[in-house]
Amino acid sequence: MSDALDFDLDTTWMGRMGEWGTAAQPGKRGLTLEDIRIGRYGELPEESDNMSGRPRGAVERPEAYRIGGYTVRAKKEIWLDNATFLYEEALQRQWSSATDIPWETIAPLPDDLEEAECALCTFFNEVEFVAGDVPARWVAKISPDFFEARNVLLAQVQDEARHMDVFRKRALANGGGLTRVTGATSGFIGSIDLSRDFTEMSSRMHVSGEGAVLTMFRMGELFGQNPAEKRMYRLCAQDEARHVAFGIMHLRYLHATAPERHEEIEAYLDEAENLPLTGGTNPAGPQAETSEALAILLGGGKKHYDEGFRVLLAIRKRQLKEYMQRVRSAGFGERFENGRSTVPGRIAALS
Amino acid sequence: MTQASRIKNLTASVAHIDISPPRLEWMGHSMQWGTRVKKGEHGLRLGDLNVGIYGEIPEHWEDQTRRPRGAADLPGMPPLPYHLRSKHQVWADSAADLYEEAIQHRWIPATDIPWNDLSPLSEEVERAVCQVLTELMQAANAELECITYWQEQMSYGYHEVKQFLAVAALTCARHIDAFRKRCLANGGGLGLESRGRMNRAVLESRGGWTEAVVYVYLLRGFYIQAQYRFLLAHAHNAAEREIFANCLADHARHMTYALDHLKYAINQRDGQRAIIQTLLSIGERTLAREIQEPVQRSALAIVFGGGVEGGRQEGTARWLALVRSSIREYLNACEWLGVKRNIIHRDLNALLPLDEQLKPPEQG
Repeated sequence: MSDALDFDLDTTWMGRMGEWGTAAQPGKRGLTLEDIRIGRYGELPEESDNMSGRPRGAVERPEAYRIGGYTVRAKKEIWLDNATFLYEEALQRQWSSATDIPWETIAPLPDDLEEAECALCTFFNEVEFVAGDVPARWVAKISPDFFEARNVLLAQVQDEARHMDVFRKRALANGGGLTRVTGATSGFIGSIDLSRDFTEMSSRMHVSGEGAVLTMFRMGELFGQNPAEKRMYRLCAQDEARHVAFGIMHLRYLHATAPERHEEIEAYLDEAENLPLTGGTNPAGPQAETSEALAILLGGGKKHYDEGFRVLLAIRKRQLKEYMQRVRSAGFGERFENGRSTVPGRIAALS
Repeated sequence: MTQASRIKNLTASVAHIDISPPRLEWMGHSMQWGTRVKKGEHGLRLGDLNVGIYGEIPEHWEDQTRRPRGAADLPGMPPLPYHLRSKHQVWADSAADLYEEAIQHRWIPATDIPWNDLSPLSEEVERAVCQVLTELMQAANAELECITYWQEQMSYGYHEVKQFLAVAALTCARHIDAFRKRCLANGGGLGLESRGRMNRAVLESRGGWTEAVVYVYLLRGFYIQAQYRFLLAHAHNAAEREIFANCLADHARHMTYALDHLKYAINQRDGQRAIIQTLLSIGERTLAREIQEPVQRSALAIVFGGGVEGGRQEGTARWLALVRSSIREYLNACEWLGVKRNIIHRDLNALLPLDEQLKPPEQG
């Protein structure tokens, strides 16, 4: 090919484009994904046949390669009605652990408090690893026709990276260092890792697992020992609330659109109530080593362990109540009335 | 309500419950008590934490659990499928800094782009912009699917890389978001989907993360980067300028990681250099076909030429300048990495000016 080029331009594609004349307007929150869900571009298929990774609304090219490994192709398997809102909020509320935490407010703590805080930070590193790895695993399996939901998951993966980062920073900033892992996240049967279905994963991870962690982050005001820790937990709670909202809203959508799956979801919730809520993955759970660390932090030291543990019991109760509220909101609240769930009994035992 | 009264209220209902004494088996396991990392002028950064044992990055990380690097292990934990457990498979010294930079450089398509500055373009230019962006959306989609496929297989011995890639994947989603918004905000729409040649190559490169990096970044990355650069230079309004400037900065970060990683992999692993040469020989043909694909080529030329008429000569000349600059950058990067290309696929070679075309070494 010489330097003197005179290509013919192909303009035939100009007659093979998606719906034309689309002029979305920014609203008071800028130009959001919701604002561009207009015309054909806002129509979501119940079943996606998009295997080439084309953006929703782009024109299919018969000769395009089928390159997507999309196994999640039914809307009811992945959708939630507020995906665009959660994604936009996630972008608006990004924060930096390097500069948005007042690290200078950290001052040396008595050894028992420092070690307890570091045990908690080590544990939170482990659980954030799960909450980052597992959604990432699903992203490339979800049809890009449902990119709004995928985007929320990608924002979650970044949130979790930041959470690992902030807890690692705290552990190494005040003399304690990382402690021993609990191993509570290592692929036991019934764990989030082993979920074979997206909704199964979401019910375990978003609703029960992250729901329990959200309660803890919200209680960070009580066990944080300085403004840096309190802010760290507050910012993490803000992110975690979005992740939990994803799970609830997805379950709610599935409840409304897939009655044939109700019993299956109830079975996941049975399992979740017996594992993530009570097992080692719940930092305040009865079987968790971190419960002792939390009691020390809540009481203000080893010598006030009993007082701290009573606060922890109250937190456990709160976790269970919040869990019930979330499951009710998702449409599966009947289990608390018909005797299927053990949660009401556990709350009664703490009263 | 004070904290004391809040706690009193909270605990009122559980005051009667007996508390068992703690076992405290979790205490006494810190492997480096006394670590006190201080924040610097840019805050407390991820890389600042790499002190003492916490900064010892192993050549191989046997642990298949989620033990953070530097934490004490708990024997008996079942393994998880972390297949990438060697440093040469993932590492780049710049990963921690790039992660922090990505967090600081975050931007929001909804509110950081001056959408009100969009104004109507001629229909042929609007169609061309929308076509180019439709294909760039698919490229970004292939990139994020590739990243997320590999990221969850990387072990926690190298958490800096995982964290950087977590941000990189969302960055790709943000590009898709911005391009889609641009297509749907100025009287246009989406275009014809990509033929998908390079997207397929990217998603098929499943031999290892390093091999994927070769295709996503070393081979195709400079072509994408040149498109952003030229689209920035030919932006029609402040909104487009802001989009492409941000995408260019983001993509440069991804390229930095990629080249840094490839350099490390090549230097640390015997045979990696030859593998990359082979991959490039295979992939260059695919890239050349993608570059010359008539729909994308014509759409870019029309954007650069300001219309179909201008696209035939001036636009095509600028398209060729884009292609050539990307091939030159590719060749320079290969040389810097130690995988100098003495010959490239003839279809790619043909796109260079005659005096720059690579000649096969003389026989004998």
